[in-house]
Amino acid sequence: MKRKDNRITHLAGYVFISPWLLGFLLLTLWPIAQSFYLSFTEYSLLEAPQWIGMDNYVNIFTNDSTFTTSLKVTFMFVLFSVPLKLFFSLMVAMALNKSLRGMNIYRTAIYFPSLIGGSIAVAALWRNMFSLDGYVNQVLGWFGIQGVAWISNPDTSLATLILLNTWQFGSTMVIFLAGLKQIPQELYESASVDGAGKTRKFFSITLPMLSPVMFFNLVLGIIGSFQTFTSAYIITKGGPINSTYMYAMFLYEKAFKHYQMGYASALAWILLVIVALLTIINFAASRYWVFYESDGGKAK
Amino acid sequence: MGKRWLKSKGWAMLTLAVVLTMTACSGNSGNGGNQGSEPSSATETAAAGGASGAAATLSIMWWGSDVRHEATKKALDIYSQQFPNVKFKPEFMAWDAYWQKLPTLAASKSITDVLQMDAAYIQEYVSRGQLEDLSDIDLTGIVDPNVLKNLQIDGKLYGIPLSQNAQGLAYNKTELEQLGIPLPHKDWTYDEFFQWARDARAKLPEGKYPIGDTSTWDGFNYYQTAMGKPPIMSDGGKTFTLDKELFMKFYGIYDDFRKNKIVPPAELAASFLENDPQADPMASGVVLTRGATTGSVSALEQLMPGQLGVVNLQTGPAGGGWAQSTIFLSVSANSKNKEEAKKFVKWFIMDQEAGKALGLTRGLPINPEIFKELEPTLEAKDLLGKEIYDMSVDKALPFYSPAAGFSEWVDTYKKEMDAVSFGQQSIEEAFNKIDKLGKELAAKAG
Repeated sequence: MKRKDNRITHLAGYVFISPWLLGFLLLTLWPIAQSFYLSFTEYSLLEAPQWIGMDNYVNIFTNDSTFTTSLKVTFMFVLFSVPLKLFFSLMVAMALNKSLRGMNIYRTAIYFPSLIGGSIAVAALWRNMFSLDGYVNQVLGWFGIQGVAWISNPDTSLATLILLNTWQFGSTMVIFLAGLKQIPQELYESASVDGAGKTRKFFSITLPMLSPVMFFNLVLGIIGSFQTFTSAYIITKGGPINSTYMYAMFLYEKAFKHYQMGYASALAWILLVIVALLTIINFAASRYWVFYESDGGKAK
Repeated sequence: MGKRWLKSKGWAMLTLAVVLTMTACSGNSGNGGNQGSEPSSATETAAAGGASGAAATLSIMWWGSDVRHEATKKALDIYSQQFPNVKFKPEFMAWDAYWQKLPTLAASKSITDVLQMDAAYIQEYVSRGQLEDLSDIDLTGIVDPNVLKNLQIDGKLYGIPLSQNAQGLAYNKTELEQLGIPLPHKDWTYDEFFQWARDARAKLPEGKYPIGDTSTWDGFNYYQTAMGKPPIMSDGGKTFTLDKELFMKFYGIYDDFRKNKIVPPAELAASFLENDPQADPMASGVVLTRGATTGSVSALEQLMPGQLGVVNLQTGPAGGGWAQSTIFLSVSANSKNKEEAKKFVKWFIMDQEAGKALGLTRGLPINPEIFKELEPTLEAKDLLGKEIYDMSVDKALPFYSPAAGFSEWVDTYKKEMDAVSFGQQSIEEAFNKIDKLGKELAAKAG
């Protein structure tokens, strides 16, 4: 009798999550499996795929300078944009954590751009701001500075995309803000009694207490940055030359512009392995710097 | 925020990483951008009406400028009046967006019933089996049989030619005259063109340039063929010819031009956007010439009314430029309304009323009768297009398009030549890479 009850409960559970489950199986898992198969084929999208074994992978690693270039560009992007975004959003979160009159208005105002998210509109805005006769150069002009063509200069184009990614700090900031609110006020009070200054409190209380949240944001930030597509696609088209040719953009063009879906699938799986490896390394490293209150304040 | 929560959250995240990585590209906003741009005109109600004949809604897609969009929508309305059973679901956009969107539609076998095609891409789409064979449409008396013959691919017709088109060069007549620079003349040679640019430089103020830079394959292909050599790609991509001597000479001249400010610096050139009032190389007042076709020159004329002059492309011993049909209407091989679609594409170039509505928005109408009807009413902007065509006809070479499978080579060509413009590599290095990839692709096609 008990057993039957259990089964019904389980069934009900599955029925409730079935919309999501179906979506996951059909729209996520199935395409993933398919792309794994396709990565061993030559597939032009319009004709049937042909099995070619490891050829795609061999070609990518031995005979494709664009692969190396786009990987370099992407690593540079991740290397700069992730720490910058973490730093910037933490600073903003700390500022917004103060109790001031009308703080909710500030919070809303600062979070507002994030509602537009990583959308086409923001990318288009960025293009207008940083183009040769864009707003940035107009403002620089007031101070007599001759601006450069930020987007169409290969030396500065990637930096403009990094800046855009940093500016889209909203969700990271909100998570930090929630984390800050979780830190017990007593800790600061007792530290004050012991004579700790602001800097000391930040490094000895805020940062360690915030480290799990920091870790969460770091992992998500890295994953997100590796997949950056919209900004490169809309603002720079990967150019000039290949200076902003992000991995996701490379992958997209292979698949939908040059009709090499098999090759693109192989690229996707390589990206997956890279991101998974980095995430594993992150988890392994986290034991040395992430502190959990429930462990008595020690690192794992 | 306990440890357990974060730990399990952590592993969930790892799984998430897997899922996110795999889905992000396909689910991203990048592809969805155009979805909402459909006009909401009478399209929604289309399915409901249609009492006479088999009701059909034809989806149709084209690229162009606003003028073309408005004219085409008007023509569609006329068709719906004449054949009330047919409604349209139009989508229209600019050139770049069009060719970004079409491959994704092709991949999902959801290309619109009727679509505008360009000579530069038609081979690729035919070779992928995306376009319907239209050979059985009777175009006697509407299109010159020789024109049709030239357009056949493996003996079949895949696109109904809409217009006569030609490639030329537009120049800022007003400004050149003010500065006392002689205007370009018909059938000028490459040497005359280069010398003209050098002379013009001497009379131009700082920050202005006589001609634009070139980094795309077609710019050099014009030169190579004008000098009597074969086109870069021929024989359906099986033969690849990149003449090193000519290549070094041609880009050597432009290298020199960059140093002497005869062409704009690379980063300025990279920020140009044609037909954008502020960023168009000519409309912005930065460059005094740019390429323009019979079909597209009116868009530029609207930005700079009354200021333009036109000339045909530079020529060599073998000729130069092209003058032929390059814009077509095709029917998707996956269309469910093939018969209606075929009827419509024929009507599009045959109907007098439609001809009036469309004017010269796609070049000189292919149908001589319609053109005769329009001729007395042509405006200045239309006459420019006709002028380009008339000047080009004598010396015209065939229109050369990239062979199927060469889309990546086309991109590579531009990137390698941009790297030369930005001073990141030598002309010879670029040549070697472009030549190597081209030969590999030709070997594959053979």
